[in-house]
Amino acid sequence: MKLLVSWLRDFVDVSVPIPELASLLSMRGFEVAAIDPPPPGPLAPPWDPASAGLGTPASALPDAVIDFEITANRPDCLSVIGLAREAATTLRVPLKPLPGTSTSGTGSTSSTSGTSSTSSTSGTSPSNTSPALSVFLDDPDLCPRYAAAVVDVRVAPSPAWLVNRLTAAGVRPINNVVDVTNYVLIELGHPLHAFDLDRLEGRQLRARRARAGERLRTLDGEDRELSAEMLVIADQTTPQGLAGIMGGAASEVWSGTRTIALESAYFKPASIRRTSKRLGLSTEASSRFERGADINLPAHALDRACALMELIGAGRRRGGTLDCYPAPRQPVTVGLRRDRIAALLGVPIADADVEAIFAGLGFAASPAAGGWDVRVPTARVDIAREADLIEEVGRHYGFDRIPSTFPALRETPPRPDPAIIRTHRLRTVMTAAGFSEAIGYSFIERAAAAPFASTGPADAPPGAEEADRLLVPLAYPLSELFAVLRPSLLPGLLDGVVRNRRRDTPDVRLFEIGSCFSSKGGERQRLALAWAGAGRPAHWATGDEAVDFFHVKGAIERLGQALRVPLRFEPATAGWLVPGRAARVSSGATPLGLLGQLLPALADARQMPGNDPVYVAELDLEALHALVPATDVQVTPLPRFPSVVRDVSIVVDEGLPSEQVRATIRSAAPDTLVSIREFDRYQGQGIPEGRCSLSLRLTFRAPDRTLTDAEVQQAMEGVLDALKAAHQAVQR
Amino acid sequence: MPDAADIERLRAEFQAALAQASAGEAIGALRDRYLGRKGGVVASLMKSVAGAAPADRPLLGRLANEFKREVEARLDEARARIEAGRPVAGAVDVTLPGRPVVLGHLHPLTIVRQQVEAIFARMGFEILEGPEIEDDYHCFEALNIPEEHPARDMQDTLFLAHPVPQNAPASPGTRAGSGARRENRPATLLRTHTSAMQVRYMEAHPPPARIVAIGKVFRRDNPDLTHTPMFHQFEGLLVDEGVTLADLKGTLTAFLREMFAPDARVMFRNSFFPYTEPSADVFIGCVFCAGGGCPVCKRTGWLEILGSGMVHPAVLEAVGYDPERYTGFAFGTGIERVAMLKYRVGDIRLFYENDLRFLEQFSF
Repeated sequence: MKLLVSWLRDFVDVSVPIPELASLLSMRGFEVAAIDPPPPGPLAPPWDPASAGLGTPASALPDAVIDFEITANRPDCLSVIGLAREAATTLRVPLKPLPGTSTSGTGSTSSTSGTSSTSSTSGTSPSNTSPALSVFLDDPDLCPRYAAAVVDVRVAPSPAWLVNRLTAAGVRPINNVVDVTNYVLIELGHPLHAFDLDRLEGRQLRARRARAGERLRTLDGEDRELSAEMLVIADQTTPQGLAGIMGGAASEVWSGTRTIALESAYFKPASIRRTSKRLGLSTEASSRFERGADINLPAHALDRACALMELIGAGRRRGGTLDCYPAPRQPVTVGLRRDRIAALLGVPIADADVEAIFAGLGFAASPAAGGWDVRVPTARVDIAREADLIEEVGRHYGFDRIPSTFPALRETPPRPDPAIIRTHRLRTVMTAAGFSEAIGYSFIERAAAAPFASTGPADAPPGAEEADRLLVPLAYPLSELFAVLRPSLLPGLLDGVVRNRRRDTPDVRLFEIGSCFSSKGGERQRLALAWAGAGRPAHWATGDEAVDFFHVKGAIERLGQALRVPLRFEPATAGWLVPGRAARVSSGATPLGLLGQLLPALADARQMPGNDPVYVAELDLEALHALVPATDVQVTPLPRFPSVVRDVSIVVDEGLPSEQVRATIRSAAPDTLVSIREFDRYQGQGIPEGRCSLSLRLTFRAPDRTLTDAEVQQAMEGVLDALKAAHQAVQR
Repeated sequence: MPDAADIERLRAEFQAALAQASAGEAIGALRDRYLGRKGGVVASLMKSVAGAAPADRPLLGRLANEFKREVEARLDEARARIEAGRPVAGAVDVTLPGRPVVLGHLHPLTIVRQQVEAIFARMGFEILEGPEIEDDYHCFEALNIPEEHPARDMQDTLFLAHPVPQNAPASPGTRAGSGARRENRPATLLRTHTSAMQVRYMEAHPPPARIVAIGKVFRRDNPDLTHTPMFHQFEGLLVDEGVTLADLKGTLTAFLREMFAPDARVMFRNSFFPYTEPSADVFIGCVFCAGGGCPVCKRTGWLEILGSGMVHPAVLEAVGYDPERYTGFAFGTGIERVAMLKYRVGDIRLFYENDLRFLEQFSF
């Protein structure tokens, strides 16, 4: 809302500098987008004392255009008068009466001519008729009030002050008749529309729903198809305007127009919003009606427009107002208790201040037990209950005058959510392992998502058709890039790897913790990582080392240790992992996720430069968290006796999983065996084809004595015998 | 017999010779020449002083001894200097780079999020997360956002093509709940704010409520310098007996001063939100121009940082809280907005590119 300050001065004596006025109103909820100089040229209306040579001319005072952003709840302030009430309340000065229209308009405020107003006999629509025009209200539901007047006009350009005031308000001047309707729109906030009466068939206006197949060419030249939910203003046969939004081209006021039917109505906000949205057409009128106009303003606005037309010689009213208002709405009265003001704002406010604020805003506050009964003008569509009134008091008292206090704690604060603590601990482990945290969008491209669709990160890959059913598409995505909810964190991490590698960062370790979605399981939290480039960063002393499966496995193992969840790994297959380099990670009977080398074709599909392997892992966090012991660590006493270490090298089949070797050793060895560690695996010269040499370090220790050589030797012999029997192992 | 001038000349000769000698061998030769037991310059001088006239002997003796001490000291110094420059067996080039110890970096949004959580946890607030997919009731209806409100149409909200099972927690948080809660309805949309979680909390817990809900939210915005269709939000709610707008001011001022600067200027300005009444936008003094006026703050000296207000009685009624007995305040903002101001990030999209050159600028 662009407010010309000299226009505001028609209603309020502004005693403060303009920037201060802007700042004061800003604090009261009217954000200032800009303060611009006024347009050049004369701005003083005929009622300005300058025009009459009396008093201090408003035109001699500083002027500017303040552009206010009006919040959706205050359509009444999409007008000079609405902001004038706010300014008057702020500055504690009285609001001046409407200028320039002493008596000419007020003589015919109510409908006096024609048949009696709001005749609503059963079976017929409310209507109102004069010799020149008949008005019918077919749909009082969508149009609770419809008023009109007939004005004989002489279409010509508007005077300069009017043109300039409209220009300052951001409205394009057209001709004196249309300009006056727009002037009233800006001044009072009520949209009016002028029809060329001679173009209205049957000399009638009818507010009704559009009929199937009806079309209307609107003032902007667009030919629009109408539907039955849209309200139109029609003549006897044809829609002549889109109610509350835009008039029709056929009955537009033009240079040859001699008589107009001037409409001033109230339309149901939801209906205007729906139609405006359906047609993609938003206007000054629709933006006011859809937020809520003042149902008790139409007749007054008509009078003002007629008076202004007479003032500038644009026209003269013929007859009175034809007003269809079958169910007049009374202002509501809302109770306000004195103690609730302090209870909500935290500071008591003097009765005199409260009453001055309501008086300034045009609310009638009458004393009642413990407070006031406040009658709220119908322009204030935002006020429905006590809290709304307290906001009025608070904002005009000034938020800056309300003290700062700290709310008391009356209960023990609840203990923190263990899930949040665990997630933060995971972040600590992952960053300590060299992974930086990524955050990706929850919605991604369908093509990127499809290969990763699954019910859970550890589940067997579904068929293509099932995968497609598991994806969760958006109804109307912003673009193809944001089409489906991510089924996995891996597509996003892969894109992160690709982006870094395209920007000359070849060594990438990323992790992410976030939600993944499937149509079956809904939303689940996962943790994933991606690793490409160096497994150990390059250094002058050692050179570098490319990432491999065991780097990623090491990171997951470390995670398990940090959470005190024992993990198990076994070969697995997944649609997105290279066969033979993929493992399922579980704990006990609970599958947790998959890790391995990402299928190179998937990286190629995202245009990754080069063909280095990308290793990934993904775990179901909710399953993992459920396994984390809730109890504190219980310390194991430190060993009091020395341990004995024995190394052994055996040759076994290359396909034999080392886990089986370890299991055999463990079952054959006495309880004094405390650890087994593989320290070499060798294939090549000296080892038969299809076999490999495995070197293991066994550590023995007893809690109550020092082991003897003989004891350990005996244990080793048992181990070797068992390995020979179970795996045909040959000692090297 | 030598006199004082002779000793002075010897000293000058020594100093000249020492200045010439840079290598270890030359210093050794000088030592032999001056301090050799037989025929060394110092030894010869001592001998001749011994033969001087008894009257001259004390003076000459003192000068000769001074000269001797000086030669010894200077030669020791020179040797130490040369030895210091010689490589020690097993020495390393300490200027070569060390072996990299790789430490990953937390995402800046996580860093800010953890700060937010820590500040409010200290103020007694419980931190809640919640589902990203929601149903219409929790996202809008319970928050006094009417059916006709623009937030509820396709313009602003991202809807799912089909309803999806909802896994929201039965009783959010760790506080004992009343158990009175709604059935989980299938999710139909991506939440547009974290307020949905506040509704879930109030449904499950009688007052007081002192919570901060934090997480991802979604709006129908195409990415540009200041918008992404997904961002992170935190929203606080405090409902209890006797909570006032003054408490709101005190709490948020304390939060902002801890987050930005102990002396940050804070301003509350009336605004409008459907779920609060009265409502206030909260501003801090511009961090870029210190209030002097710059393009970032549009020359106002203020930056909008939070939306806030007293909880609308209709919201309290919807979750079964008695608005006559309880009042409360709510507030919220984007974590990205806080991070952009704190770290002076000019483009919000950087938070979602996962470019290590960006992420690695954030230490703990």
